[in-house]
This record gives sequence, C-alpha cells and structure tokens, in this order.
Amino acid sequence: MDETVAEYIRRTVLKIPRDEIKTMLRKWGFLSETQLQTINFHQNKDNISRDVVQLCEENSTSIKQAAVLDIIYNHSYPNKRTWSVYQMNKTEEETDFFDLTDFRKKFKRQLRSTLKNVTINFREYENNAIWIRIAWGTPYTKPNQYKTSYVVYHSQTPYAFISPSVLKSNLPLLCQALVVASNYQDIHEMELRSHSLNSLEDMVFKRYSQNFETYCPRPVQESTVAQETGLRVVQENINEKERILRVNREGFGDGPQPKLEFAEYKLETMFTSDPKLEVLDRKEPFRCMVKFHSPHLLESLKSLAPAGMADAPLSSLLTCIPHKARNYFKIREKKGFFPGSFVSP
Amino acid sequence: MEEGKAHPSEGVFAHLEMLEAQAHEVAVKQAAAEQRKEQLARLEARVQELRQRRDELQAKVELQEQGQHGQGGVVSDPAQHSAQTVLGWKIRKVKSTLQVFYLTGISGKLSKQGVCFCISTAYEGTYLDSYYLDLLTEPQVRIHRHSIPTFIPMEQIAKKYLQTDIRRFLSVLSDHLNAYVGRRYQADQLQEHFSDRLEGTMQRNSLCNLLVFNYNPSSKSETFPFNARLLYGDLCCSLPTEVVISCAPDAPAALTETAAAHSDLFRRLALHKAFGSFGSAGEHVDGAR
Repeated sequence: MDETVAEYIRRTVLKIPRDEIKTMLRKWGFLSETQLQTINFHQNKDNISRDVVQLCEENSTSIKQAAVLDIIYNHSYPNKRTWSVYQMNKTEEETDFFDLTDFRKKFKRQLRSTLKNVTINFREYENNAIWIRIAWGTPYTKPNQYKTSYVVYHSQTPYAFISPSVLKSNLPLLCQALVVASNYQDIHEMELRSHSLNSLEDMVFKRYSQNFETYCPRPVQESTVAQETGLRVVQENINEKERILRVNREGFGDGPQPKLEFAEYKLETMFTSDPKLEVLDRKEPFRCMVKFHSPHLLESLKSLAPAGMADAPLSSLLTCIPHKARNYFKIREKKGFFPGSFVSP
Repeated sequence: MEEGKAHPSEGVFAHLEMLEAQAHEVAVKQAAAEQRKEQLARLEARVQELRQRRDELQAKVELQEQGQHGQGGVVSDPAQHSAQTVLGWKIRKVKSTLQVFYLTGISGKLSKQGVCFCISTAYEGTYLDSYYLDLLTEPQVRIHRHSIPTFIPMEQIAKKYLQTDIRRFLSVLSDHLNAYVGRRYQADQLQEHFSDRLEGTMQRNSLCNLLVFNYNPSSKSETFPFNARLLYGDLCCSLPTEVVISCAPDAPAALTETAAAHSDLFRRLALHKAFGSFGSAGEHVDGAR
C-alpha cells in the first residue's frame, strides 16, 4: 500500500471524534468485523489511527477505497464545509428517466476528458441524494486528496449543492461535468450560501414548514403563552402580545427555521434627507452594505419581535429569506414616482 | 390691696375661662368621636350591603353556568339553550363538510390575495402526503408559494393550463402528485417488506420513475438470478409502461419463461402486491405460474 494512502487514512481517522470511529469504520465496510474487534477503541486517537492503518495495509487499500471513508465522514459532519447552491436550466421538456449508472458514466467521462488526474467517488443515500467527491490534480501531478470538492445532487432536480475546494479554477470543469451528466444545458450560482447543507436543501426543496391557510390545519403546537399562575396577575397588554405572536407566526411559519449564518444586503439607494441640507451634491446612490451574522440567523430574527426588540411585523426583506432561497440581496431604487426600494430578483 | 382685689378676680375669670375652654375641648372631642362612630356604623352597614349583593350575583352566575351544562339548572333561559345547540350542530356540520372536501383530494380556501389549495394524495386507501399551493389572482393568476417537490414538472403544467383552465391545472397536478406518491409507496413497501428477496438496495430516483433491482422470487435464497428494470413512462400513472426482466445468458429455459411471466405481472400489478403473490409460489425459483 502506498505511503500517501496510509497517511491519508491516518489523517482521516484522526478527524473523526473518538466515539464515532467504530461506527464509521463499520459503515465503511472495508474492514471485516473480526478485524474491527482487534482494535481497542478506548486508547488515544493516535494509536487507534495507527491500528486502522495497519489493518488497511493487510487489506491493501487503494486510494479510491480510502476516499469512501472521507465521504462517510463528510456526510456525517457536512457543517464543517461551506456549501453554495447552483441551479441548472434546460429548455426541453421531456421526462427525464434518471439512470444512476448513466449519470456516473457521463460525469466521469466528461471530467476525465478535460483533466485526467482526478479521483472521483460516488455514494448514494436513501433520500435520492448522490454525493460526489472529487480530488483534483493537475495535468502533471497526481490528485491531491486533501484538496477535494464535494457535490450533492438530488436526481431530477435542477439544484446542486457544491462545496468547492480551495482550487477555485476547477469549478467550471466541475459545473460542466454536472450539466452534461444530468442532461441540463447550463448552470449558474444562486445567491445562497451556508454551512448547514440540510437547511439549504430544506429551503430549495421547500421542505421547511410554510404557513399555508387551510381549513384543516395540521396540528399546531400549543401556543405556549403561559397562563400566569395567580388570578390576581393581570397582563395589561396581553392583546398586543398575542398580536405580535400571531403576526410573527404568519411571517415565519410554525416549524423550525432553516439554519443560515448570515444575510447580506447591498444598498444602492439614494440618500433621502431634507433637500435643503444638500448633503450630497452629486445625485449618486448611497452605497452601503448591511450584514447580519448569527449562529442561527432566522431563529434569532424570529425571536426579535416577541422579545420586544423590533416591531412586528418584521420587514419583508428579512422574512422573505427562506421563501426566496437567498441570503445575498441588492436593494435598488424603485423606478417611478415614489422613491422607495425594491429587491432585485 | 387693690392689686390683690384685681388679681383674685382675674384669677377667677382666668380659671373660669380655662374651665370653659376645657369643657369646650371635651365637647368637641366627644362630638368627633361620635361622628366617627356614626361613620363606622354606616360603613359597616355598606359593607354588609355589598357583601349581600355579591352573594346574590355569584348565585346568579352559578345558576347560569349550571343551566348551560344542563345539570339541572333551575333558572336557564330556554331560548338561549336551543340557539346554542343549533349553533353547535351547524359548526359540526360545516367542519365535516370541510373534512369531506379535504378527503376528496383537492380543497381550497380563499386567502387575502387569492386562493390557497391543498392537494392531499392517497394510494389504494392509504392517505399519504399533502401539498399546498398558494395562488394570487391579481393582476393575473400566478403561483405565489407552494410546497410541491422540485422534480414534479409543475412549471410546465402551469404554463399550459394555469391561465386558461385552473380546474384542469389542478387536476393534472393532482394526477402527477398522486402517481408519484403511489410509485414511491410501492417502492418503499417493496424495500421494507421484501428486502430479503432483493439484492442490496434498489436503484431508484427522485420521481421513482425508473427502478432497477436484482431479485429472487423466493425468500430464502443466496442468488438473485433476475434483473428487473421498470420504466414508468407516464408520470400520471403508478404502473410501469416498460418492464425488462433479464437473466444471465446461460440461464435455463424455465427461468426465461418465468421472467416473461413476471414481466407481465409487474405491468399489471402494484410492485409490492406482485412480490406478495410470489410468496405463495413455494420455495423454488421457477414456481410462479
């Protein structure tokens, strides 16, 4: 077995938290159960990884097999990478019978036709998600297993979730291979980025809970406006509180919000002030960028109004984020009589 | 001595004045005390009065509540009673009508800016997912929000029918969704109940319109001689349009005959039901006739 492969396996095992190593090795399925029994998983990680490498030596692992372990690790911890969403278009409207073997063949062929030195791995998961791992080389060097791109593609959808490697120059090759393999015509990047892959999928596939008005509402969690104990306590502004909660629910929906870390608003609006002041001589748009950061942006926005920090209803610029599936916005002047602002599509 | 005469009279007068003042003070104090006593008595009487009134009102409220619950209330307004029961009956009737609409598969509710439709899907008696569509009606009919999966060709259907014939649009969309959940249900059932007859996991896709798997009709077997490829060409149909079952090239003739029989079976019967019919065929491979 190659030295590089051994080192790669060792480093991949070191990334995994100690309690998870056994389960992941089992999922990998490359080492037999008897071999796994010989490893002591209570020693420190350095020793565990060395034991694993030893066993892999006995089985003479190839780099492709080692790469599968990397996919399993990234599938369990996708939030360690940043994911961008790409959308593909096509004009023909024929029904697509997505054949997995066909897809894999086309993808590999297209990618290898431009760059031979790549390691490509596929792994399918139950929710029709196909994980593709690509390790990039150059025309003269072998693939660097530490500079990998990941693509998650759900069949028969126009969306792909890409976590690019540091080598940005390979991105066009990747996009082209994807377009050809999935029978689309072109691809462009959407203005949506986050660490949480599941949340991106939820937003784009409309899997988060939206509030639809129906006559037969789904069972809603009991509104926890806690009934204060003691009949002598009277909430003077309970009507206002309930209004705020209701309006907030209409804006954000009932269920958990998709997880985003930031939202960026670029303003290109005119500075509106008292015309007599004439702060700006030139009639130029006032350029400014507002960026919201949070470990969980949408949940924190949702809790602003009930906490009394903002008026309800919240601006539609904030509540439209999951619906429009974007967290980069450009706000320009509305052209017309009334200078206002509108969000560019 | 004159002073002496003057002083004693002053002294007497002063003393008398003093006594008068004292008496006055005492009288004033007494009057105040009496006034206070009177006020106290009045307030006590008022308290009694209010208590009595409170008790009366409380008794009235209790009687009213009892009357509503029908626990033998003595004083309950009979007209009010029946009006409430009628209202309750009407509400129940409306709720059940709405439930019926919901169960038919397509139900809707007018919203502030348009209509919100709910398409509820089912397959052979099992109710499956519900999908929502929020339409705006001004200035023209367009889709505002929805929860339709991305692999359903909704934009194409909308382009064809949304502006001209909403009913047709909803009906076609409902057909697509029902067929999709039907195909998915069959594939899930197969994977769940007959996994011992499948080799590994099935290959499928999001629309469940192409299924490829290796199988053996009998359950306790090591080999999976048949390879099935099911193509669902019609997205509004939950049965395959094309079934290709192949065996290894060196397979005996009996096997190829079975393959042909299975191919016909899968085209007619739901996938999990077809596999269910194998169970009665016995232990050997070429049993199903």
